[in-house]
Amino acid sequence: MLAGLGPMSGTASALRGWLSWRGPEQSGYSTETGLPDRISAEDALWRADFPGQSAPVIANGKLYVMGYAGQGADLQEGVACFDAETGQKLWQHLYNDYLSDTIYLRYATASPAIDGETGNVYIQGTQGILAAFAADGTLLWQHSLMEEFGRLTFPNARTASPVIDADLVITRGITANWGTQGPGADRFYAFDKKTGALVWASSPGAPPKDNSYSHPQLGWYRGRRVFFAGTGDGSVVCANARTGEPLWRVSLFRAGINATVLVHHDDKVIAIYGTPYERGQLVALKMPDVLPANAAAGPVVLERKELELWATDTSMRISSSMSSPILVGDTIYGVTEDGDLYSVDANSGTIKWKLKLGIDERNACPLFADGKLYVPMLDDPASKATGESEAGTTGAFYIIRPGEKEGEILCHVALDGRCFGTPVAFNGKLYLQTTRHLYCWGKKGDNPGCSTPSEVKPWPAAGPATQLQVIPSEVLLHPGEKATFRVRSLDANGLTVEDSIPAKQVSWASYIPPTAKVKAAMKGAFDADGVLQAAPDAVPSAGAFEATLGALRGYLRGRVVPNVPTKEDFESFTLTETNASGVVFAYPPLPWIGARYKFDVREKDGSKVLAKTTDNRFFQRATVFIGTPEMSHYTIQADVMSDGNKRKMSEVGVINQHYLIVLKGNEQKLEVNSNQERLRASEEFKWSPNVWYRLKARVERNPDGSAVVQAKAWKRGEPEPAEWTISVPHKTAHPAGSPGLFGFSPQDMPVYIDNVEVTPDAG
Amino acid sequence: MSYNNHMVRGILPVNCRASLLECGGKRSATPLWEAGLDWESGVVAALCQRTLNASRSSLASLLLCAFALLPLSTHAQDWPQWGGTPARNMYCPATNLPDHFTTGKSGDIKFKGASEEIDLSNVENLKWSAKLGSQSYGNVTVAHGRVFIGTNNENPRDQRHVGDRSILMCFDEKTGELLWQLVVPKLASGKVNDWESLGLLSSPTIEGDRVYVVSSRCEVLCLDAKGMADGNDGPFKDEAKYVVKDVILDKGKPTERPAPPIEPGPKDADIIWQYDMIGELGVFPHNASDCAPLVIGDMVYVNTSNGQDWTHSNIPSPNAPSLIALDKRTGEFLAEDDAKIGPRIFHGQWCSPSTGSVNGRQLIFFGGGDGLCYAFDPRPVKEGDSSYLKKVWWYDCNPPDRKKFKYPAAEGPSEINATPVFWKNRVYTAVGQDPEHGEGVGILTCIDATKTGDITQTGKIWSYDKIHRSISTVSITPDGLLFVGDFSGFLHCFDAETGKLYWTHDMKAHMWSSTLVADGKVYVGDEDGDLVVFEASKEMKILSTTNLGAPIYSTPVVADGILYVSSNTHLFAFQSTGKPMVNLSQPAP
Repeated sequence: MLAGLGPMSGTASALRGWLSWRGPEQSGYSTETGLPDRISAEDALWRADFPGQSAPVIANGKLYVMGYAGQGADLQEGVACFDAETGQKLWQHLYNDYLSDTIYLRYATASPAIDGETGNVYIQGTQGILAAFAADGTLLWQHSLMEEFGRLTFPNARTASPVIDADLVITRGITANWGTQGPGADRFYAFDKKTGALVWASSPGAPPKDNSYSHPQLGWYRGRRVFFAGTGDGSVVCANARTGEPLWRVSLFRAGINATVLVHHDDKVIAIYGTPYERGQLVALKMPDVLPANAAAGPVVLERKELELWATDTSMRISSSMSSPILVGDTIYGVTEDGDLYSVDANSGTIKWKLKLGIDERNACPLFADGKLYVPMLDDPASKATGESEAGTTGAFYIIRPGEKEGEILCHVALDGRCFGTPVAFNGKLYLQTTRHLYCWGKKGDNPGCSTPSEVKPWPAAGPATQLQVIPSEVLLHPGEKATFRVRSLDANGLTVEDSIPAKQVSWASYIPPTAKVKAAMKGAFDADGVLQAAPDAVPSAGAFEATLGALRGYLRGRVVPNVPTKEDFESFTLTETNASGVVFAYPPLPWIGARYKFDVREKDGSKVLAKTTDNRFFQRATVFIGTPEMSHYTIQADVMSDGNKRKMSEVGVINQHYLIVLKGNEQKLEVNSNQERLRASEEFKWSPNVWYRLKARVERNPDGSAVVQAKAWKRGEPEPAEWTISVPHKTAHPAGSPGLFGFSPQDMPVYIDNVEVTPDAG
Repeated sequence: MSYNNHMVRGILPVNCRASLLECGGKRSATPLWEAGLDWESGVVAALCQRTLNASRSSLASLLLCAFALLPLSTHAQDWPQWGGTPARNMYCPATNLPDHFTTGKSGDIKFKGASEEIDLSNVENLKWSAKLGSQSYGNVTVAHGRVFIGTNNENPRDQRHVGDRSILMCFDEKTGELLWQLVVPKLASGKVNDWESLGLLSSPTIEGDRVYVVSSRCEVLCLDAKGMADGNDGPFKDEAKYVVKDVILDKGKPTERPAPPIEPGPKDADIIWQYDMIGELGVFPHNASDCAPLVIGDMVYVNTSNGQDWTHSNIPSPNAPSLIALDKRTGEFLAEDDAKIGPRIFHGQWCSPSTGSVNGRQLIFFGGGDGLCYAFDPRPVKEGDSSYLKKVWWYDCNPPDRKKFKYPAAEGPSEINATPVFWKNRVYTAVGQDPEHGEGVGILTCIDATKTGDITQTGKIWSYDKIHRSISTVSITPDGLLFVGDFSGFLHCFDAETGKLYWTHDMKAHMWSSTLVADGKVYVGDEDGDLVVFEASKEMKILSTTNLGAPIYSTPVVADGILYVSSNTHLFAFQSTGKPMVNLSQPAP
């Protein structure tokens, strides 16, 4: 298939609607007319009980929105599909939270995306489930990014909304994967939208200060299909959307940028930054005109002062840590951290007006349609002043007619639930989700003023091929398993030349990147048909392969992790490294996710063991996955120990099917949890520092979907107790999950793990 | 802060305190223990007699015997600690203070162009101004002609120290000239214990030539008020290494290495002693460490800042103390509280303690991270292998119906971040939460401080539950008007005796800081940067509104006739002089 046609053409958005978080123009703007000037909470066309912080997406009369349901350990988050006209719920697909740091009901912070070609729907959950559904709710594919790519979670739960570009679904997160992608970084990922195969991973930012959900803004830059985004290190970046190649980066601030950037007239990039505690600025940068010397060079790092066209004065407090500005012609609208709606001239940076609507704004963004601004506010200022409702329970929704000199408030309503969600408009209706409900206002039936997307230019034709793209670019196999690959040739700009080169035409060879710390290879080989088969040995391995076709090259990474039963006593490791304190050690197994630099293998009490490192206090806690997400029906056992004294001990544990079973030193308890706010139960367990214990856990599943997590601990060398120390029932049980290891040393007391065994459960 | 910010917008609260009594004065050291006294021996009268006989300590007896009753004779009106006095009432008896700061009464203080240099063309009553970092939560204290404030290092005064550091600045009271600064590097564990860019939060307590402060590394530090200019006084002499602890140069590059020591100069801080609460006690500060130290006799009392980790469920050190006592001369650990607050901490703990004499018995008042207000006996009692500050009474400020909601739901329970203020045998405190948690319900309670035991059912004199979450400390005038702000932006005026509400005013911005009442006026700052002056009366009357161009997170204070107000970026020293004297203290270009 040739570029410029089919899925590469960019004109594939056959569907009308509001397909992604930022809407048809990627700027929070809609051409929809005939929308209401006034609404009330009571005259909603419909209202559904599906709380969240999401913006709905709409196509073919169906509305999809993230949300959550249930309570406590049985709370689930996911996507629901409603009839956009009636509010009837057509289907929903919900997932448990697990092992995440999400707190305080900060669920459904992302929005779904609809593929304009197929009508398929894509979501990323706060726990890192990336999933694709057909319009009828059929699950097409899903990834557990946490277990497969080392995606980290954070208390703020900021989660990126996927965005579809041609054949790719692009999303992002902070990941600490393995090998060259082992160090924690703010990474973008592109998956094949139909198969879920990874196409590329990219980290154009510097080491992050925060996680960021700045939504990729798609566009063109020097002949390349690119995205622009804010990053967790406080930069604005541009990267090739076909290959992930980072092109340039401009640092603006020392905290992460979460707001989506605007591209104005293709000649300037506009970004807003700030923290809840320190006011930042709205800044316009001239579009740079640089490219990296080569693909391995990394992004060109540009200085802000070379590019700055204008910036608002800090004292004017046009600042936001989360709420994105929108672009309407030459005017930027947005809401500041302090709850002021602002209007700024995109060409000059002149502040036209500010209007105080509240005192705090978080994720929510305004919408412009039909000559009006639709503006949600986190908390309604009026009802708390009058005592009608408690502060923090009621959001506000304003309809504003923006003029050159001021904004006129046409309507202000208080809504049940706080407003983190962003409103959308389609077919004469407005939709907004609060932390209690999903609201729809407007006209019944079809709207004559229904928006139509602006014309999309066809993509340029590709030039001569210069490189290969291997899909998937990363594989995870058990011993003996096979993987097949799709190979593409791309031109220098990353545009597809030939879409499906038979893998058998390509030559494949094991490849060790020159920068690799561990010169390791994945145990496996390609056959004559270009099929990769992992070696049958039950040992973990990881490495890369190079694909060659004439002068063209491409790469893939792969891991092999043993299935059950598996055992690791660390005795086979050769301790060849020495740390700054003189400790001799070996790096932990390369394919283990999240282990490097947090754990190492060293000698302890005459045996080789896995030790939690404490030299880098940034890594107080380590969660390591040693298997694959679909594993279930197993028992995990390990020997564990903590250093300690009267006031200080650490925590050490194992993971079984998304449940963490942890011995807590300072609390002297054995605890089972999985996202500690959701599921947490413990029993007293007296254990001493510097003494080995044995920890064992399994998950007893019941036919009704519930389970009992069973765990016991005892002093190593003593007989195993017959009874479980703790049994924790969970109604909405986790169905599967990778086995793992856990250490938390907040006070520099190392923990040690040895003799890890994962064995199949009977039946 | 986790907000998310853990990273949350995951952050923290900070400067929430209050006080009572008059404006503090210069007080001599009060070396009770030095005089051979022991809390556990003898009666108060005997202590007083012996203390009076001790050579250096005539005021010590006054503190012990009738702490809150005696007028503190002060010539110069210093503000040597958070709240001015150990009762921490945000009230000062000063007079002749300015009621406006720009021409035409109300206006904006602007900067020149895109700079942060103040445009003085419309400014009035400004004596001097000093450029701070970019975030400043540290409340000003003033003693012996020196002005102290915590900030961050975004506008470095010393080019040897660049990057994120917590800074305590010491200015000359007359000119705003920087005399010296303390540089505190960030903890290597990152934002979970020491959030980026917050700077130094603690309001220092000055006594004689000693300055007590809690660092952002969860240490208690004793500093020489004169700085390093008069030489490096010990026992602590490792300042050169202290200022680069955990500092890595060229991070992430092949040339990455630990920063070499930086020898202190005359404009650096002189650390006398240091007590590391993480290392010694296993404390786990949640995002930030903060407390305005309380000095009584020879002891310094501090909140340890112990709290949750970033999961906001797990408390890594449930057995670590929340309030400790150190020997102010040596930093030696003397005692820990016996309240076992750890397992009940909702989030973090940043309350500063206060003290007062209740019918002749001195008590320490402390707002717990569990929402309980505690009174402790300041005298250590040895039990087992530690010594304890025994609780005398405790009062749960959260009404039972709020506990149906899971923290931090808007309708649910909160902790105490404000400083409990002691006034006429009563303790006043509001409940609130980390600003990152946003708005929610609050309650202001007036507690009878004369009772003992669990006084939740018996100790309430009055409460007001229409106030929203508040991290602000109350101001009480001598004639019984109580002013307090809340985080939803409302300023309230009450009758302190009865709890009768006289008025409220919507500031239309979050309020983090506390009110200051002085000279018949109420000075209030908010997150929009508005400094509003009200008449301190039963009727609401605004005298002026001035925007300072950056959020105001700290509380106005008065010392020696000067009103100090800091925004995130500038410290302003206002005085009733009409036109500005124009002394702008900036980092060297």
